[in-house]
This record gives sequence, C-alpha cells and structure tokens, in this order.
Amino acid sequence: MDFQLTKEEQLIQGAAREFAEKEIGPAVEEIVSSNRVPEEILAGLRELDLFALPVPEVYGGAEAGYVCYILAMEQIARVCPGVAVILSVNNLAAAAVNIFGTEEQKKRYIPQGTRGDTAFSFAFTEPGTGSDPKQLAATAKKDGDHYVLNGTKRFITNSSYRGPIIVFARETETDQVNAFILDKFCEGYSVSEPWNKMGVKGAPLHDVYLRDVRIPAENVLGGLGKGFWILKVAMALGKIGISSIFLGAMLAAYEDGLRYAVEKTHRGEPIAKFQAIQMAVADMFMKYESCRWMTYRLGSLAERAKDKGDILKDSAATKIFVTETAVDVARISMGIHGSYGVMEDYRISRLWKDVIFGPQVEGVSHLLKVLVAGEILRK
Amino acid sequence: MTEFLAVAWKAGEVPELLGAAGTLGGGDETALLFLGGDEEARQAAARWGALHRIPGIETRLADTGSVAGALAGAQKALFAPVVLLPSTRRGKETAGRLAQILGAGVLTDVHRMERGEGGAICCHRYALGGAAVSVQRIGTAVQVIALDPGSFEAAPERGPGPVNELSVPLPEGSVVLREARPRVRDTVDIAAADCLVAVGLGLDRKEDLALVERLARAVGGEIACSKPVATDRKWLPEDRIIGLSGKKCRPALAVLLGISGQVQFTVGIRDAKTILSVNTDENAAIMTLSDYVFIADLREILPELAGKMDAGPG
Amino acid sequence: MRIAVAMKPVPDLLQIRMKDRRPVLEDVPVVLGAIDRSALEIAVELKEKTSGHIVVLMAGDGRLEDTVKEALAAGADEALLIRDARLNGADGSLSAHALAAGVRKIGPVDLLLFGEGSTDNYSGQVMSRVSEILGIPQAGYVRDIVVEGETLIVTRSLEDEEEILEIRPPAAFSVLSEIREPRIPSVTAILKARKKPATVLSLDELGVGTGSGAGVETVSTLAPMTGRKGERIPSLEELVRVLRKEAPGGGA
Ligand SMILES: Cc1cc2nc3c(=O)[nH]c(=O)nc-3n(C[C@H](O)[C@H](O)[C@H](O)COP(=O)(O)OP(=O)(O)OC[C@H]3O[C@@H](n4cnc5c(N)ncnc54)[C@H](O)[C@@H]3O)c2cc1C
Ligand SMILES: Cc1cc2nc3c(=O)[nH]c(=O)nc-3n(C[C@H](O)[C@H](O)[C@H](O)COP(=O)(O)OP(=O)(O)OC[C@H]3O[C@@H](n4cnc5c(N)ncnc54)[C@H](O)[C@@H]3O)c2cc1C
Repeated sequence: MDFQLTKEEQLIQGAAREFAEKEIGPAVEEIVSSNRVPEEILAGLRELDLFALPVPEVYGGAEAGYVCYILAMEQIARVCPGVAVILSVNNLAAAAVNIFGTEEQKKRYIPQGTRGDTAFSFAFTEPGTGSDPKQLAATAKKDGDHYVLNGTKRFITNSSYRGPIIVFARETETDQVNAFILDKFCEGYSVSEPWNKMGVKGAPLHDVYLRDVRIPAENVLGGLGKGFWILKVAMALGKIGISSIFLGAMLAAYEDGLRYAVEKTHRGEPIAKFQAIQMAVADMFMKYESCRWMTYRLGSLAERAKDKGDILKDSAATKIFVTETAVDVARISMGIHGSYGVMEDYRISRLWKDVIFGPQVEGVSHLLKVLVAGEILRK
Repeated sequence: MTEFLAVAWKAGEVPELLGAAGTLGGGDETALLFLGGDEEARQAAARWGALHRIPGIETRLADTGSVAGALAGAQKALFAPVVLLPSTRRGKETAGRLAQILGAGVLTDVHRMERGEGGAICCHRYALGGAAVSVQRIGTAVQVIALDPGSFEAAPERGPGPVNELSVPLPEGSVVLREARPRVRDTVDIAAADCLVAVGLGLDRKEDLALVERLARAVGGEIACSKPVATDRKWLPEDRIIGLSGKKCRPALAVLLGISGQVQFTVGIRDAKTILSVNTDENAAIMTLSDYVFIADLREILPELAGKMDAGPG
Repeated sequence: MRIAVAMKPVPDLLQIRMKDRRPVLEDVPVVLGAIDRSALEIAVELKEKTSGHIVVLMAGDGRLEDTVKEALAAGADEALLIRDARLNGADGSLSAHALAAGVRKIGPVDLLLFGEGSTDNYSGQVMSRVSEILGIPQAGYVRDIVVEGETLIVTRSLEDEEEILEIRPPAAFSVLSEIREPRIPSVTAILKARKKPATVLSLDELGVGTGSGAGVETVSTLAPMTGRKGERIPSLEELVRVLRKEAPGGGA
C-alpha cells in the first residue's frame, strides 16, 4: 500500500487549489451575498474540466479517476462549498448518463454537462420524500411513443441553469420507477423561486414543476423499470462528491482554527500555548486526517468497482462520517475563535452555516446508518 | 599591467566599480572601459581618470553578442584577469556571454568582496531566493564579476585623464535596434531614500494608500511596496518595488505595513538600519527580521495613526 | 516555429527550512521555476500562432520525469531531460553546456527561451552562455515577443529604458515573469501529459565532457544573521513614539 499521490494527482490538486485561491477566493463575498456564482468562474471551471472529470473524453469529459475528482472537489470546497455543490451534481449526473445511457443519449447530453453554459440536474427528492424511493409520487404516463410527466421535485440543484435533467418518476400503468432524461425549460418545465438556504451559498436550489411534459419514449434512461438500480448507483457516486465537499469545508475550518490559535494572543502569548487549545488543534488534525484518507480510499474503491452500486455501503459510511465530523471540526474551530467566531467577519461563521448541510443532504445520517448496517448484517 | 578591468555603460556606474576594485587593492591602475555614447557622459566618466573606449560600440549596445565579443578583445588587449561590471540588467546579460567567450567563471549580483586564502576573491551573493548568502570563488584564470549597484563605496574622483581608443574587432551583429524609449519613471529613487514606508498585500483597500501617504509624509519617508502591490494590483509604479526583482534599499528606517517577509522581499530591505513592521500575523516571517513589531489590523489603525502622526510631536 | 524552453527544476522555496543557519533541502519538493512557467506560457502562445512545436529542456540530477509533467501539461509537446549526477549544484557554465548540447540534439530550433533568472539562484547567465556556445543572437529581460513575418520583434526592458529589437531566428531570449501569466493546466491536459514523450540522456550521452564547468566554487551558504530584537510595541501611542524617535528627520 502506498499512501502517496501520483504526480498527476498532485498536479490536479494543485490546479484546483490555484484556481480556487486565485479566481474563486476574491469572489466569495459576492457569491455569498448574491447567492450566485459569476459566469466567469463557472466558465473557468469548465476550462479546467472540473465539470466532468469521470466521463470519457469523446463526450468532453476528462476521463479522470475518482481520486482526482475528490482531490479537486476538496480544494474547490475549501474555498467555496457552494461552487463545489454545483460541480458535484453535474459530475454525478453526467457519470450516470455515461453508465446507463444509450450512445445517442451520451452524445446528445453529456457534452451539455461539460461545455457551454449548461449544467446537469438530478431530480429525485419530492415534497413527500427525500429518503424513501418507494414513496415517489411523480408520474409518467405512456402516450403512444411518448411519455407525459407530471409532479413536483423539491430542492433540485442547478435546476435554474439550462441543460439536461434526470427525473425519477413512476410509470402509471406498471407502477415501476423509471429514470428519464430531458432538457430543462422544455414545454411544461418551470422552477420555483430559489430556496433561501442558510449556507452553501451560490449553488442554485429550486423546486421543479413538471406539468404535462411530453418526451419521446427513447428518453428513458437505462431501460424500463431500472429506476431503483440507477438511483442506487447515483447515490453511491453522489456521496463521493458530498464527502469531498465537506472534507474541503472541514479543512478550511481546521486551517482557520489553527491560524487563530497562533495569531490570537493572551497576555502577549499566542493562545496556542494553552493546553486546551492544543487539545483542540490535535483533535482537528486527527479528525481531518481520518476523513481525508477514508474519502481518498472511497475514490480508489469507486475506480475499481465494475458496478458502482457495489460501493454504496462504503460510500454511505464515508458520507456519514465525513459530514458529521466536518460539523465537529467546525465546532472545535469555533470554540478556538471564542466570540469572534460568531461574527460574520470571521470565515468560520460562514463555514458553520455550510458544514451543517452535510448530514442533511443526500440522505440524512441516521437513515444512511440503517442502510450501512443492513448491508453489513446481510452477509 | 593591471588586475582589474572595470566596464561601465553609464558614468554613474564608474565610482562604485572603481571603489569595489579599490577595496581589493586595485588602485589607480584599474583599467576603465567606458561604453557610453555621448561626449558629455564620457567627460563625466573621465573625472575618474584615464579611460578606454571602443570606437563605434555605442551604436551596438543592444547587441549583447557584439558587445561581449568586443569586451573579450579588450580584456585580452589589457591583460586584466578580473573583469568587473555593474550587475544591472545590461551588465548581467553581457557578463554571461563574455565569460563564455573567455572561458571564465562568472558571478552576478555580488554585494560584497574580500580577499581569501592565497589572495582569491571571495564574493558574497544571495542564494535560494534570498534566504541565504553564499560565499563563492571563481577558479578560472579570468574572472567576470557583476557588482550589485548600491552595495559598494564610491571611489573618489581621480581627476580627468586621457581617453585611449582600443583597436579591438567589433563583431558583426544581427540584432537591430528599432527603437529605444525611456521608461516612464518615478522621480523618486527608493534605493536612495533615508526612510521608507512600504505596503504589502495586507493593505487591502486602495483608498487607504492616502493614509499611508500621510504617514510617509509625517516620518519624512517615501512610499515603497512589495512586488504584487505593483505588478498584480498595479497600485504603485514598479520602481517602488523592494526586493530581489526590485530595489535593494538601505534606509535608516523602514516601516513595513502588511508585508509577510518572503525572502525575495527581504533581500531588498535586510540592510535597513531599523525595521518596524505592522502585521496581523505575529508569526509572519517578517517578525524575525524586525526591530519593532506592532500586531494590528491596518484597516483599524491607519486612520488614527495617520492622524496622530500628522498632529506632530506636541 | 520550433521553440525550446529551458526550465530549471528548483526546490520549492516556500518549503525550505533553516537549521543552524543552513538550508535543509532534503525532502523539499522540486518544482518548476516561477519565471520559467511564464517563459513556457509565451512559448505556447507563439506555438499556437505559428502552428509550432515546443520542446522543454531540463537539466538536473533528480527525478526530472515527474517535475517536467507540469510543463508538458501546460502546453509543451515533448521533453529532453538531461540527468546527471554532475549537474548536482552545477554552476551556470556546466548547465549551459548541457542545455546547448540538448538543443543540438533536438535539431534546429527557431527560438530558445529562458526565465530571466532561476527562482533559487537568480544568476541570470545561462541564456547568455548558451547563445554564445550556439553562436546565435540573444536578448535578455524580454517583456514581449511578437512575430512579424520572418522576424521576431522583442521588447527588452532595462532599468531606465525599453528597447524594441528586430531579431531573425534562431535566437535566444530570457523573459521577465510579467511577459505572460502562466496558465493553470486542465485535468485533461495533465492526464494527457503522461503520453507525451520525455527522453532522458546523460551528459556523456550528449558528449558534454568533464572540462565544461567553469570552476565556481561555493565556500559556504548560510542564512544571514539578523540580530534584530523584534521588540513588541504594546499600543498605538507607543507606536507613534517609536516612529518619531526612529524617523531620520525626527518625524515632523
Ligand atoms: C442544498 C441541497 C441540495 C439538494 N440537491 C438535491 C438534488 O439536486 N436532487 C435531489 O433529488 N435532492 C436534492 N436535495 C434534497 C436532499 O437530498 C433531501 O432533502 C435529503 O435526502 C433528505 O430528504 P428529506 O428532506 O425529504 O427528508 P425525509 O426523507 O423526509 O426525512 C426526514 C426525516 O424523516 C425520517 N424518515 C423519513 N423516512 C424514513 C424511514 N423510511 N424510516 C425512518 N425514518 C424516516 C427521518 O428521521 C428523516 O430525518 C438537496 C437538498 C439540499 C439541502
Ligand atoms: C523570482 C521571484 C522574484 C520576486 N521578487 C520579489 C521582489 O523583488 N519583491 C517582492 O516584494 N516580492 C518578490 N517576489 C514575490 C514574493 O515571493 C512574495 O510573493 C511577495 O513579496 C509577497 O508580498 P506581500 O508580503 O505584500 O504579500 P503576502 O505574502 O500576501 O503578505 C501579506 C501580509 O499582510 C498581513 N496582513 C493581512 N491583512 C492585514 C491587515 N489588515 N493588517 C495588517 N497586516 C495584514 C498578512 O498577515 C501577511 O503577512 C518574487 C517572487 C519570485 C518568485
């Protein structure tokens, strides 16, 4: 075993870090206050191929492994988690089309996730459920060689950007769940006002309304009745993105805590001289290091898995552990900051509002634990 | 026969080159070769005694290959084993090519020289981007040494001397000078200033420069900066840069505002008599290089500081 | 246009620590010099305009294959790596002979680019030496390069003036970092760099003899003594007092 990044991995990590610090860093205040990511930044991320790392070059992807993906996402999220959320959903959906799509679908849709000013959405959650696929209420009614979709999808990232969307809906005749791929803003597609979320600012989040959206039958993704399988794979892959994002946010919280500990003085000495602060520094380090290697390993598992659904247990476990630990580290860092930490002037106050998203999205922690335990006990 | 051949492009470079040769025992016999073109400059240079010139070279100065070729001829004609040049951009570029022709070793940016064992010339120069000082010796029979301007004592005038025209071949060149234009420059020379107030990236609002100017006026100093303030933000002209690619300064007092103290910067301010730094980071590298440190946020203190300093000592 | 860019592998200066005033270079990662990255960037621009080809030349004694990947990712087409134990701490003369032999090896080039000085040593003489060895015209401290037909128009930036020069290739230039801002390579470019050819040769294989060094000997390399006391100023009032005391003119 060799816990060393290859030179390529180091360069990709370095490129993401350089872009994040030079281009995103100076815009963070604006992103947070306007809850919008400037188009130049998105264009720059596309140039660097960060919109579609794990898809083949023929469709405009970078054909990079999941470890590279994690390293890049961590660096972007370290500077601005909201920007990384946009990338995460796009990468996940593009990868799903690459795995399950027909050649036609891949040629038509994947490039929209890598070039131009378009981005993918992935719509599973509904007002009625975000964790239980069995409760899906959106419908798809067969009409000749077309389907007609109806329903509301809640909390859909990137849904205000043009580009493709993957929608999960129940076929009225057979009651089975299918995944469909279609263009956003086609007839019958509309979005709500943006949700006013407390953190991960910049990533657009709206409800999606589907009112008699008519699409050809060939827009079914992965075949009829394959909805749950696709969902399982997508969930497994999506959690790689979420884990990297909150790993990056954790790193930022750790760095801020460390910096404050050596900068802030008490009676002329840095507070890092106090043992209590030293405990906190060691805790942050241990937590970050354990999460980091757990996430990188997940990337390596994903690279080797033939059926990406096979990594769901590890993916869910990593996602739970990293997102919960990111909250811990932010709390510790906040503690080091004292009352300054709750002032908007300090970045930790913003990170605090970001890290709490981790355990709440893409499956809440305790439900994912049930899933993890189920997989372990099944054997 | 002389040990040293000093080569100058401008009259202003002459006193230091001769001064440097003087510290190594090269007295009046140090040969001076002046490349500058116009009569006035030549007369100014001649105040330091006899000088040699190479007719026609003044129209070829942009062609480093020709100049180096002619200098090699001059070195051979004058039998001077040690060639001293100013470590200006022109001087450095020429030094490498000249050394290659002469089969000589070369050292550039030398800020101190002394005699070592067996009379060998030991040259001090910064290494590792300024983090360290290397002492180096050239082992070849002929040596080319480029001297950091501003680092050596000027030699006193030697009184006007004769001008000798060297007849050395001036190699045909292929570099055509289409146009030379003076760089729009500041009238202030921070390298010569007695007091500097320098700002770094820690000053993050351009409008605060006005406060810094008031502070500079109150302490009788000139404004200077770290490199990115001039090259990235373009808030100040590039001749205000202190450091490796800027100027080496030696003021009596340097006030450094929001500068982290990376080595490429510190080589330019290390020789200040007194350094006072203001920074939010008490672990910034500049702290170990400062006589006084004040840990504070510039945004907060500048208005009050400028006000108090304006008010005068009363 | 065929362009060769000489890029020096240098220790990452931000990661050098001092121990007993001596630099500790073990385990310090080797990176491309900052100014050399700018040289590569203008090379890429010229290559794109003239459908040219870029070869990176790198001379050193370490694992150059890894270091050069960054350059291949940033737009170079191939690399010639000159690796030899003799190049460890080599003076500019040996490096120059190595690079000049490298240029001869890769065949005719129109343009040979260097950084104005390496980030670590900054002696700025290698370009001049290589030009002399190859017998080609040179220009140092170049701020811009434009192709005009068969001629290169370069702007040389000196302390008090700028020169606009006309030079016909082949020629060698050293560039200032402000000539271009180096790009951040894309993921695809980084991964593709793996497939670009990088040849490794030793000095013997290039026919660079042992007599090629110019005998610059380093007596010592030490961090300078600072001897400054870093006295903490406790208050703004005290700061004002110190400023008045230390200001050469007495502070207004
Ligand atoms: C910023 C952000 C971006 C998002 N982006 C997307 C997106 O792009 N696409 C998308 O589809 N979704 C997206 N979501 C939605 C998110 O993934 C879901 O909200 C999340 O998975 C939780 O679902 P829920 O809110 O409906 O909770 P629910 O499923 O309603 O769960 C709420 C609580 O009910 C309980 N519960 C529910 N079911 C069970 C059960 N079976 N057994 C026991 N207890 C149960 C649990 O205690 C759970 O904590 C996003 C959300 C956010 C905040
Ligand atoms: C070949 C080469 C040559 C170079 N030559 C030069 C050169 O000649 N000159 C030069 O300067 N650089 C040079 N550099 C660049 C150099 O490496 C550094 O990047 C540069 O000096 C950093 O400038 P800085 O200290 O202003 O900025 P930073 O390193 O960003 O430091 C800013 C400082 O401000 C402090 N600060 C932040 N906010 C505040 C606040 N509100 N109040 C008070 N303090 C605050 C921070 O704690 C920090 O210490 C060169 C680099 C290379 C590679």
